[in-house]
Amino acid sequence: MVAMIAANDLVKAFPASRRMRDVLRGHRPVLRAVNGVSLEVAAGRALGIVGESGCGKTTTARLLLRLEEATSGTVLFEGQNVSALRGAALLPFRSRVQLVFQNPFDAMNPRFTIRRSLTEPLRNFGLAPEEWEARIREAMARVRLDPPEAYLDRHPHELSGGQLQRVVLARALVTHPRAIIADEPVSMLDVSVRAGVLNVLRRARDELQLAAIYISHDLALIRYVCEDVAVMYLGRIVESGPTAEVIAAPAHPYTRALVAAVPVPRVDQDRGDLPIKGGLPDQMNQPSGCAFRDRCPAAFARCAEEAPPLRTIAPGRHAACHLA
Amino acid sequence: MDALLSVRDLAVHYRTAVGPVRAVDGASFDVPARSIVGLVGESGCGKSTLGRALMGVMPRSASIAAGSAVFEGRDLVTLSPAERRKLLWRRMAFVPQTAMNALDPVQRLGAQMLEVLVERGGLSRAAAGARAAELFALVGLDAGRLRDWPHQFSGGMRQRASIALALALNPALLIADEPVTALDVIVQRQVLDVMRELQSRLGLSMILVTHDVAVVAYACDRVVVMYAGRVVESGPVRAVLEAPLHPYTMGLMNAFPDLERAGGELVPIEGSPPSLLHPPAGCRFAARCPFVSSRCTEDPVLVEQSADHHVACWRAAEAPALRPLASEATTWSNIAKDATWSR
Repeated sequence: MVAMIAANDLVKAFPASRRMRDVLRGHRPVLRAVNGVSLEVAAGRALGIVGESGCGKTTTARLLLRLEEATSGTVLFEGQNVSALRGAALLPFRSRVQLVFQNPFDAMNPRFTIRRSLTEPLRNFGLAPEEWEARIREAMARVRLDPPEAYLDRHPHELSGGQLQRVVLARALVTHPRAIIADEPVSMLDVSVRAGVLNVLRRARDELQLAAIYISHDLALIRYVCEDVAVMYLGRIVESGPTAEVIAAPAHPYTRALVAAVPVPRVDQDRGDLPIKGGLPDQMNQPSGCAFRDRCPAAFARCAEEAPPLRTIAPGRHAACHLA
Repeated sequence: MDALLSVRDLAVHYRTAVGPVRAVDGASFDVPARSIVGLVGESGCGKSTLGRALMGVMPRSASIAAGSAVFEGRDLVTLSPAERRKLLWRRMAFVPQTAMNALDPVQRLGAQMLEVLVERGGLSRAAAGARAAELFALVGLDAGRLRDWPHQFSGGMRQRASIALALALNPALLIADEPVTALDVIVQRQVLDVMRELQSRLGLSMILVTHDVAVVAYACDRVVVMYAGRVVESGPVRAVLEAPLHPYTMGLMNAFPDLERAGGELVPIEGSPPSLLHPPAGCRFAARCPFVSSRCTEDPVLVEQSADHHVACWRAAEAPALRPLASEATTWSNIAKDATWSR
């Protein structure tokens, strides 16, 4: 099956701040926020990208959305390379791959009614005005904002966070996308309404057979909405596979630490030491070999000499660790 | 029970042009000596306002309208500002949500520690230097980093530094407002471990204000669940989280994505909390509660339902029968239509 959306060896390098000695030597140091990321998501599937702040997960999302130009590598949509598209040629791609914003309070124009916010993308992508109302009602029904009249003529401040996040999703769905990318879609919402928004996202994905990519630091949330997961560390995918399997038996030591650290609402839980040392290293001074070895409880000589490539360790499962 | 802090019927109001907002509207709970109490609830439930009111750090528009908060035998509500200031740092200290707010960005961390230790604690500079190093070691930071500026620290290190600062003068009570919310899971866990270790090593008491039931489950001995300015349930963590008596607590537990619970739909609590400008009469959760009864138009009183387990719900006695129903999504979705515009 052809992946709906895929990335091939994506790299994004940002110019890093130059120290005096860099200037003197004519060095232009770069920070590789994303360093060779490949992934693919089929229609009707959801991939979660999980990792700590600074691991490159949001930059990966921006590259996939073509909001950011990749330094190298390609983005494929329905099998077509879209990396080279510019300007008007990008429009069809933009209407087919939609972003669900993190903070619903920032994502909506406060002076627009909900109807106007939902109309904007339809106008931008050139849909005939007589079809607008039907599209909008369809999207509102999809996110279970019922009846639509109760919301469409209101302004964002009149809605609760959970309702507003559903509107944000409706706005993403109104153009009939084939793929959605959601960056921390519920992190700004209260716990009691998160579940509702996640349920709506999951149902929309199933009903419309969308390819979905969720970016989150919360493995419990990923487990709930994504069949597959990719764990990122310092710009690279260090482990990927079916979410349930990865959580049940993590192959990479970093994933092991992440799984152990996820808080669970249970009274009896393991409070042992985390199998990880220290904090994230300075991205500009990563250790030689495996980037994780400084913090790894299992590191040995080979880890300093050789960076482990992401390799297949079992059907559907990949890990970048010499010991996996 | 020997309580370090005893809060009774505390009310905190914000003055606004359209009338008082009753952010905390009659909260009662105890903080026993040597225990970590989680104050949990959604945004706007009054948990942060309550924490700040106890600490005496409130915006000008806020005031304590009623009630008492007896800390080490003295009522914080009636203390003069001067007496209160004497308690700050020495007997009770505050850790704000973002550590950057606790740390001065243009002063080295060591200098900030010295300022508190010398100015507030009356230590000599030499003694203060030694104490600062000791405090850094206590929270797992290298004493050499005292020479660093706050911006050189990562989020987790800043939070540790701001805890070290709060501990400078050996307070008996630490009030921490969402201390780990802004941190990544691994760092979150490391900071919580530091807090737990400090609690047992120093015999501290802590109030941990959080929206995250999982943080409470991991770090706290007791929990106080707040909803719309009221305490709806409180007690030992095990009793409250494993056998919740209030429908809101049941809902909170089921709304959480759980790493260990397989598939299935999450169970949302439909609707949103009521306005605290004109709170509804009777039980404030009634509009979102699937188990609402005719009696709920009457205000439920916080009572001790079983040993040390308090709840404000008329149907608390039926809780064992309601709990299985509360884990079904359909139970909650039936009330969705009416609750949509309750706010």
